[in-house]
Amino acid sequence: MTTWFHSWRAAVRIARRDAWRSKGRSFLVLAMIALPILGVSAFAVTIRSSELTTEQQLERSIGAADARFTDGHVEGEPLLQDPKGEQSAPVKEYEKTNEPWPDGPTDVTKAIPAGATVLTDARGSAKLTTTHGLLQAEVRELKAADPVARGIMVLTEGRFPEKNDEVAASTAFLKSSGLTIGSTLTARGFDREYRITGAYELPSSLKTEQVNALPGAFLAPYGSAVEKAGIPKPGVDTTYLVRKSGGFTWNDVQTVNTKGVVVQARAVILDPPADSEVPLFQREGWAPWESSAAADAVALAAIGTVVGLAMLEITLLAGPAFAVGARRSRRQLGLVGANGGARSHIRAIVLSGGLVIGVAAAVVGTVLALLLTLALRPLLEEYLGARFGGFTVRPLELLGIAGLAVLTGLLSAIVPAITASRTTVLASLTGRRGVRRSSRVLPVVGLVAFVIGAVIALYGSVVTDQFIVVAGGSALAELGVVALTPALVGLFGRSGRWLPLSPRLALRDAVRNRGRTAPAVAAVLAAVAGTVAVATYTASTDAQSRQGYHPKLPHGAVAAIVTEEGGRDAPAVREAVQRSFPVDMRADVSRISVGRQGCGTWGEGKGCGRFEVVTPPANECPLWTATPDGSDPSERFTKEQRRKLQEEDWRCQSRTGDGVYVEGNMLVADATVLKVLGITDPGAAKALAEGKIVSFSKALIDKNGAVGIRLITDDEAYEKAAQERKPLPGEIKSFPAYLVPGSPPSYGVESVLSPAAAKAAGLSTVPMGAYFTTDHLPSTEQRQKLAGEIAKLGSSVDVTLEEGYVSKYSIVLLALTVFAGLVTIGAAGIATGLAQADAEADLKTLSAVGAPLRVRRTLSGFQCGVVAAMGVVLGSAAGILPAVGLRFTEQRQELAFYQRALDEGWGGIQEPPSVPIVVPWETLAALLVAVPLGAALLAALVTRSRGALARRAAH
Amino acid sequence: MTTATPQQPVLRLQNLTRVHGSGATEVHALRGIDLDVHPGELVAVMGPSGSGKSTLLTIAGGLDSPTSGRVIVEDTDITAASPKELAALRRRSIGYVFQDYNLIPALTAAENVALPRELDGVSARKARAEALAALAEMDLGHLAERFPDEMSGGQQQRVAIARALVGDRRLVLADEPTGALDSETGESVLALLRSRCDAGAAGVLVTHEPRFAAWADRVVFLRDGSVVDQTVRSEADSLLTGRAAQR
Repeated sequence: MTTWFHSWRAAVRIARRDAWRSKGRSFLVLAMIALPILGVSAFAVTIRSSELTTEQQLERSIGAADARFTDGHVEGEPLLQDPKGEQSAPVKEYEKTNEPWPDGPTDVTKAIPAGATVLTDARGSAKLTTTHGLLQAEVRELKAADPVARGIMVLTEGRFPEKNDEVAASTAFLKSSGLTIGSTLTARGFDREYRITGAYELPSSLKTEQVNALPGAFLAPYGSAVEKAGIPKPGVDTTYLVRKSGGFTWNDVQTVNTKGVVVQARAVILDPPADSEVPLFQREGWAPWESSAAADAVALAAIGTVVGLAMLEITLLAGPAFAVGARRSRRQLGLVGANGGARSHIRAIVLSGGLVIGVAAAVVGTVLALLLTLALRPLLEEYLGARFGGFTVRPLELLGIAGLAVLTGLLSAIVPAITASRTTVLASLTGRRGVRRSSRVLPVVGLVAFVIGAVIALYGSVVTDQFIVVAGGSALAELGVVALTPALVGLFGRSGRWLPLSPRLALRDAVRNRGRTAPAVAAVLAAVAGTVAVATYTASTDAQSRQGYHPKLPHGAVAAIVTEEGGRDAPAVREAVQRSFPVDMRADVSRISVGRQGCGTWGEGKGCGRFEVVTPPANECPLWTATPDGSDPSERFTKEQRRKLQEEDWRCQSRTGDGVYVEGNMLVADATVLKVLGITDPGAAKALAEGKIVSFSKALIDKNGAVGIRLITDDEAYEKAAQERKPLPGEIKSFPAYLVPGSPPSYGVESVLSPAAAKAAGLSTVPMGAYFTTDHLPSTEQRQKLAGEIAKLGSSVDVTLEEGYVSKYSIVLLALTVFAGLVTIGAAGIATGLAQADAEADLKTLSAVGAPLRVRRTLSGFQCGVVAAMGVVLGSAAGILPAVGLRFTEQRQELAFYQRALDEGWGGIQEPPSVPIVVPWETLAALLVAVPLGAALLAALVTRSRGALARRAAH
Repeated sequence: MTTATPQQPVLRLQNLTRVHGSGATEVHALRGIDLDVHPGELVAVMGPSGSGKSTLLTIAGGLDSPTSGRVIVEDTDITAASPKELAALRRRSIGYVFQDYNLIPALTAAENVALPRELDGVSARKARAEALAALAEMDLGHLAERFPDEMSGGQQQRVAIARALVGDRRLVLADEPTGALDSETGESVLALLRSRCDAGAAGVLVTHEPRFAAWADRVVFLRDGSVVDQTVRSEADSLLTGRAAQR
């Protein structure tokens, strides 16, 4: 039987042995193809392994229970829920009657059916003492050792608590607290001590710092202790794990829902009812979310493009390597021809080279991916913060990914295969060289693609504001340029006449052998074009961010604001900043506190109130002043009026600008804070000393020249009055005001009151932190020191350090430059290897006519440099254009948004958008000069200056 | 029946001319050559450099095409054949042996010999069996598993001859097969070639060594592309001595 695959077997055998014989080249190509395969396969395996089955998810969330009962927080009103128990809403549709939702707890235990086994699962938080200081951590009261809870917490060491003075701790907590099993644990302001008896993991949340105690052993006594200290006690969220014979059906769940309780039921989640049986889904806006087909298509297209471009890049890089192989084994291919190998056989042999390497890369990449994922599984799990459900390998998926490797190998070998098969047997045997004509069709196709792509991109950036049009057009144009490369390379040849011998020889050689030069140049071109495009875009965005940057404080100033209740940590925080930073001036600041001492900001907590600085109605911008009928106030104006108001009326201008966020935009502080904020007006300090309120905003000052502070003790009554547009409740303290002239930047602060004046007016204040100036910007060590000190306090503190605009992109630009540089050197190196394989005869002639030995080195250096230079020049040109196009599109978008904001009266926009286009000259210079130079030097260095003169054509 | 009977020549060259280049660079490599090679016959082609010996051989094997004239191999006019048909002909009818590096370095001796058969689509097992048989017949069985770089030059050339005659191939075109060998090894290679011809193959041997030409049944002398003299074996020795003396 004679069939075609028998001859393919011979071809594969030759290719396989050849690949083995030239290990260096094969390894290079194999690595190029296998690396991305490894990455993608490892990613796929990791993703699949981290995906949990529904059973696994349930085990981790409700253990062995049949359901978790959770308070729906609707004061026991009947509610509707989705089958997973993630969403719920009261049965009564409050939004239709404009009534507020009921928002109170209910007794969940009343909803639990009689005869069921119940475990309480309560979560709260506490400030726990550690070896380093204090750590805000979760405290969870759950009888974790109970069979019903099995699977929620996985014990890794020791045991779960059995007595009320014992706790177990999550491994993450032990790690960050420095405590170990056997250590004693206590909390701030709490006299009880607990012994740590074990370590456990939350399989789906490995990074959670949590402590487990028996029900009732920690949270309740801790809450009382905290409350005794005058601080609101932390909230506790209690749910119930329920086991009942027969489990809970969807009907059972709906019955429980009538009592205002949400149920997460195992049986329902495993076998959910049809959407039509879920009343919640029948409501408008509650239908289950489905991913749209269009979004999927866009994502798929994006992935396809990335994969396609990556394959093109690898093909362009690997192609010349196969061409080198084919050229080196020219004699061998000639022998095959002499022994009856037809063109198809020669093609098959070279193509088999691609097949062999592709298959090897697929196997190596996939196997390594599996091994790496398996070996690194614990690390990956830690990184993702969740244990895998298992080691899930989807063979078809991996096969598909591996298939890409084989395809890439074959694609890389296609052009060399065709070229080799076109060479006549006689030419192969005698080693005769000829200039192979490059295809005439390809440049035409390339030109057409370039023109169409450029037109699309131009249309995209000038007419539409769709990024995808610009990006798509640019990609097409870029491919066109890649196809045009052989023709473009030809253009470079003309410039060689005035060059010295070695570079002239290198350039002529590169141009005459476009077949091997073009793929390498195209590979460089593609990588450089991508890099330059991203770099230009990034540099432009960076410039825009720099222009649009608003400092939050004067340069070098620091604000440390304690956002927690009571302000008891404020003095320690002030000291910590002063100790750690090179502080020059310190201005302590306080806030007005309404209600009990120790209340948090914004009136959080029982018996706590808040305050606001009143804006007199006459000073409010008419565009945003509430109308009596509740309609949109801006509707009353025409477009022109809205524009005029925003552009000319001072009431409608932004008042404070960016800055540090403080309650009521108001500070209680002495004149030092004015100095820290850079307010030089002597009148302001004087006014502050006189007991006046210093205001930076004209809008706060009423017609009598005073500023009012409303003390809101009952926030609910206030909200209600505001909604019903009735007079607002709350006493108003009025202070004579001093308006700082010239509207200097005040960094988010609208008014300042001296502590003495506040006291005189009967206002109680709470320390909030401090503002500082520094001698010089704190060093990294100093910043770390402060972070450490604050972590020790366990307090939540917002530290703002103004160091001017910090570019986030420089590292991106550097990484891109390095990437493009490596690709360029790699591609140019491969092309040089190819040129050297060809140039042996020339070199012999050269040395025969008395050329010095170094010519071999300089020639290879210039050959490498020529390829690199052509690639980066073409790539840079091809890369800047799409970036500029994208920026034009962005400019159109932002301008449109600006006009619309003015028309509609949205406010908050001060100036027309500026979308600068910045060319990243450093990156370009590195690519255009340093990279080709480096490539040339490298090639010259690694080339032996003395060639093996007796080298035979067969090897 | 297409197989040539003993009377019919395996290779026929009729009025063969080959002109390289045109105009000022025109070179007449062959001028009207006529030559028949019969089964069992070894013909040596001799002549100075540039006389057209190698061109004759490449055209006879279909690696190059003549400017005019006909080449008939086993009743097939190969001058009219397509590249694909020529390749098939080289797989089935014509074997080549070059001066050196005849073997594909990536393949063992047996695989090298089996190559034409495998390229022809014969299953690897069958091709291998035929190759082993061919090697054994020439007392080269012990080399079967060696790669070319594990063999001496003479061994490589003998394996190349085995490959040239594997399957049904009956025409060996040998271009200076001993050029890279010392004289003793060269003799043994020629002896093998001679024995294959005695067993029924037809051979054309290009050489400029009179010593080796002595193994041939007939010697054809070329100069500037034309046959200047022909002699049969009985006369060969005396003729060669004469020629050698003249040089």
